[in-house]
Amino acid sequence: MNIMETRKNEPVRIGFYVCHCGVNIAHMVDVEAVAKYVATLPNVVVSRNYKYMCSDPGQEMIQKDIREQRLNRVVVAACSPLLHEHTFRGATEAGGLNPFYFQMVNIREHNSWVHTDRLEATRKAMALARAAIQRVPHHKPLEVKKVPINPDVLIVGGGIAGIHAAITMANAGKKVYLVEKEPSIGGHMAMFDKTFPTLDCAMCVLSPKMATVGSHPNITLWTYSEVVKVDGYVGNFKVTVRRKPRYIIEDLCTGCQECVANCVYKEPKFPDAFNLGLGKRKPVYMPFAQAIPSIAIIDPEVCLNFKRGKNPDGSYTVSDKCKKLCVVACGDRKAIDFSQKAEDKEITVGTIIMATGFKTFDPRRTPYYGYGVYPNVYTALELERVINASGPTEGHLVMRNGKEPKRVAIVHCVGSRDENTNRWCSRVCCLYSLKLAHLILEHTDAEVYNFYIDMRTPGKSMEEFYNRVAEEGMHLVRGRVADVYPDPNDTASGRLIVQAEDTLTNRILKIPVDMVVLSVGLEPRPEAEDLRRLFNLSCSSEGWFLERHPKLAPVSTFTDGIFLAGCCQGPKDIPDSVAQAGAAAAEAFSLIDKGYVEQEPNTAFVLAEECSGCKSCIPLCPYTAISFNEETKKAFINEALCKGCGTCVAACPSGSIVQNLFEDQEIFSEIDGVLAPLPQ
Amino acid sequence: MAGVAEAAVVDRTTTLQTLLNTPAGKRMITCIQCGTCAGTCPYGDYMEFSPRLVINMLRRGFIDEVIKSDSLLRCVACYACTAKCPRNIRLTDVLLPLVKEQVLMNNTQMPAEFQKSLENMHRYGNPMGESPRKRTAWTATAGVKVPLIAEVKREVDVLWFVECYTSFYARGQDNSRATAKLFAALGVDFAILGNDEKCAGECGQMTWESGLFESLAEYNMKLFGKYKFRRIVTGDAHAFNAFRFRYPMYGLTQPVEHTTQFFARHLEQLKPKLKKPLNMVVTYHDPCCLGRAVGCYEDPRALLQAIPGVKLVEMVHNRVNAVCCGGGGGGMWLDTYYKQKGMDRLSERRVKEAIATGADVLAVACPYEVSRFEDALKVVPHDKPMVVRDVVELLAESIG
Amino acid sequence: MSDSTNKTPDGNWTPRIVAFFCNWCTYTAADLAGVSRMKYASNIRVIRLMCSGRVDPQFVVDAFAKGADGVLIGGCHPNDCHYVEGNYKCLRRYQMLKRMIADMGIEPDRLRLEWISAAEGEKVRRVVNEMVETVKQLGPLGIPAKFEQWDKEMNALAEHVAASQGAGAPGSSGQNKPQTAQTAHV
Repeated sequence: MNIMETRKNEPVRIGFYVCHCGVNIAHMVDVEAVAKYVATLPNVVVSRNYKYMCSDPGQEMIQKDIREQRLNRVVVAACSPLLHEHTFRGATEAGGLNPFYFQMVNIREHNSWVHTDRLEATRKAMALARAAIQRVPHHKPLEVKKVPINPDVLIVGGGIAGIHAAITMANAGKKVYLVEKEPSIGGHMAMFDKTFPTLDCAMCVLSPKMATVGSHPNITLWTYSEVVKVDGYVGNFKVTVRRKPRYIIEDLCTGCQECVANCVYKEPKFPDAFNLGLGKRKPVYMPFAQAIPSIAIIDPEVCLNFKRGKNPDGSYTVSDKCKKLCVVACGDRKAIDFSQKAEDKEITVGTIIMATGFKTFDPRRTPYYGYGVYPNVYTALELERVINASGPTEGHLVMRNGKEPKRVAIVHCVGSRDENTNRWCSRVCCLYSLKLAHLILEHTDAEVYNFYIDMRTPGKSMEEFYNRVAEEGMHLVRGRVADVYPDPNDTASGRLIVQAEDTLTNRILKIPVDMVVLSVGLEPRPEAEDLRRLFNLSCSSEGWFLERHPKLAPVSTFTDGIFLAGCCQGPKDIPDSVAQAGAAAAEAFSLIDKGYVEQEPNTAFVLAEECSGCKSCIPLCPYTAISFNEETKKAFINEALCKGCGTCVAACPSGSIVQNLFEDQEIFSEIDGVLAPLPQ
Repeated sequence: MAGVAEAAVVDRTTTLQTLLNTPAGKRMITCIQCGTCAGTCPYGDYMEFSPRLVINMLRRGFIDEVIKSDSLLRCVACYACTAKCPRNIRLTDVLLPLVKEQVLMNNTQMPAEFQKSLENMHRYGNPMGESPRKRTAWTATAGVKVPLIAEVKREVDVLWFVECYTSFYARGQDNSRATAKLFAALGVDFAILGNDEKCAGECGQMTWESGLFESLAEYNMKLFGKYKFRRIVTGDAHAFNAFRFRYPMYGLTQPVEHTTQFFARHLEQLKPKLKKPLNMVVTYHDPCCLGRAVGCYEDPRALLQAIPGVKLVEMVHNRVNAVCCGGGGGGMWLDTYYKQKGMDRLSERRVKEAIATGADVLAVACPYEVSRFEDALKVVPHDKPMVVRDVVELLAESIG
Repeated sequence: MSDSTNKTPDGNWTPRIVAFFCNWCTYTAADLAGVSRMKYASNIRVIRLMCSGRVDPQFVVDAFAKGADGVLIGGCHPNDCHYVEGNYKCLRRYQMLKRMIADMGIEPDRLRLEWISAAEGEKVRRVVNEMVETVKQLGPLGIPAKFEQWDKEMNALAEHVAASQGAGAPGSSGQNKPQTAQTAHV
């Protein structure tokens, strides 16, 4: 900063650097011609091209030139500023200049990667470079503002990713709010029987972690709750969480389940969501045996003590028609409260981790597989429940008709790699199909057919797993199943014909089977779009939350302070979900432990002497950062509230609002620069 | 409009040599060889070169071997492969016709029945070789006035393209009379082309005879140009398919509707007129050119369910999964050939499914199906009587 | 003053389009198009702003004045603005600008506003290509050349007036240059 003061009245001396990016830029842009052209522009003292500007030698070149050539402005033409602006600002600062004397020109993402005519691409690069050269003389030294960060963290979603992130952060002493939509944490993993490639029982590895979450002093667990409002920004998010009524007071319930045992319904009658409707439950129930929190819940849709149907506001009216044997059973604990209402909790957190997971593909969208029509067609997730010892059949692999299957077909790629449904590969299906094949062989004497398109088993120990399961003896048929229909020669037994081309023998197979298992793909949750808006995230065109950079910022989002973990970002297996949860936690730590967030100094300020006091700007600001000083009759911008969008600047009729880094004069110079004539 | 956009994936001049450079061909390059096409093909069992293999042979430059084989004469253009293809590859109406045309050129002996039909189409404008002057004969027994567009001398709302089977065959004429009756009952402003009408040519195109198709399309387009009309409605699913996908390449701009779509669109007006209950169990067969080709599955069903007394039941294979009657892509005239090759008849396969539903009526929406299924019912044993009726015939019966 | 048309080295006219992209959605989408190696016309020159709400109508007018044949503004979709509602403010100014430039004799199709989310790299390609096609159809705008022409006419007029008033008239024409677009905002 001191250096700058002394250089204030010096003439502008610009250093220009154009990057080859290996061949990424140089193959389409004649970088030497660009450097040569820029050298002829006013104020340019140094104009160079170099193979990798972001490398250490590249950055040192800038620093050396600043010192030796007494540069006071730096322009780099390379990749997107979203990728390396920070790097080069750092180099500029290291050379002894204010980092905001730097300007970046994007000639890779916006030029060499998207154009095909080298001459035109080169001319475009020249025009963009010139815009920056004309812009930088107007740059001012600016200071990065530091705002303290709230160390608390919100984790949305209590599947394995959210659980792992929560424990990681809580163990490090951070206060964690874990919000889960369902009555228990555990997510999809809690529904699985065994996990590939190790074949350890999913619940055996998960339930200790669930219990840790439930008892951890640093974790506030809110299940059956949803985030309804998010305000603020990195370091200081204000979040409203709606706790839906479960009609059981959490603090009073001991999880004894006597209410369940004593319910007026003697037998479970209603489809059990955790078992995907394959089992039954009562109106008062425990979501599943190992549920955390271990607290019962009442379903007002079917409980006799409520009137049928929802009120328009989503609440239910107590009918008081039931004998309420549950309340009697609960006795002194007094944990049942039919008058419970939804409750909104407001919290402030500095960082947020999204771990909202996925849903499985609904195979009714591929009607030729007969799901929902033929009872012996199951989804893979349903089979997980059927095969699970705590599932509806207590681990006996029997079909809806109570019989054990003699032959089972597993159909891969249902709702994956298909232009008519979902285009992506869901990544886990091949492996879980092999796992299910293994489990079927373990539980029964059935013959198993796996119909696959390509067997995809990447990852540590996965190919070995494939090899091991294949050795157990099953039919692996390379061909996508085209049709599933009842055996016309045996309509009574419910036997189905699975028809596919065996592409490796060029034959059409029609295999009679008792049971068909559809390996359904993973897709974004239906509420992902609402969450995206709520948290101001981006989604890919498929609907997955978009990471900031596919390689270099895989768990960050475009909203600072919000990170992604698990399948909400895209299909992945348990090891990857856990790894990503750890990464998201680490990213959150690095923000929190720094203690403050740096704010881009692109805020706006009012030139008081020029302000006419018209108040046009005041209603435009969504952050109410602009106030009106009744004494001086001038507008005033609170820098701490300003987010730097520049909307007020564009609206000010007297031109008396200035946005740092985006001053009018800077933009006009850019416009002039991109349109200036180029050498022929 | 859909036709115009879809026509853009391939144009009239595309050949097997240039196919891979077209947008439709680029999809073929993405084929993952999953075999869904072969697995769903009703004659997949009988093909030396399955559709999957044809794509790969094309990509590898071995397509000549496919052309030497008569594999693709077994394709009945049922759109099953196209509808289920996970890569959206247009096999039925882009790749396979181009290959089939070459097969035909290489095939020294064309099945006689088939050759005769093509000749008839060329000479008389209809595959059965009837005199064009008899095309409108059925209107005498229509019971309502069927205006000729040449005589009304003004713009009409609906140009009704009657087509061949529905003009010349007795059972087809039932369909035409029913349609005329429904048009009249709804007060539709319609007219027909009369004896000038010629076959839309869909089978020519889908089978290998693009030259024949071209001459018929150009003839009909010229005819259309003489008159003013807002839309084309046809009860022939094959003509409908040609108008929707192929004719836009020849300049057709008016929207095209199948009669079931048209009547479904007017269902609210039609409903009060459906007074006579038809107490019968009905199963509906989806025509390929209306179902899989366009995705119109629910309109005909909505019409059937609007008829008092009708109970609709489904066959095992329905909607996208329906089994073809075997008449498309020239299959109409290849029954003898298929029999020689020891192949079962698809119409028989289909009526077995219909019989299994216990229905009284097998409802259809394509004129090929009436004769094919009626023939099949003669040879497939069944205890309970079953009749084949077009959806419009049932509607007309219900309005009394 | 810049020349009125953008000539390629072989002498053919090709349009120049100035684009103002918001940092969060459209600029990122253009980066995505790059990462996905989508190919589109090279006539576009992107200027990054934090929000489409920062687009001052003067920027648009200035771009036309300095020789742009078209101006494209890209912002976040409605309800998705990183700054809550800057894109709505932009929309209002855009509608005003559309009428204004028409009054100025500039075809309204030369100005386009598009909502392009960070995930819509494909849309960047489509919109840029469409925009280039549209502007190609419209031909060169050539405002700087018109300015030059008007300057010449005004100078000639001034000289003519000065000559007719005699050389000794006060406020001599030399200093009295007509205002051009370049001086309009300084």
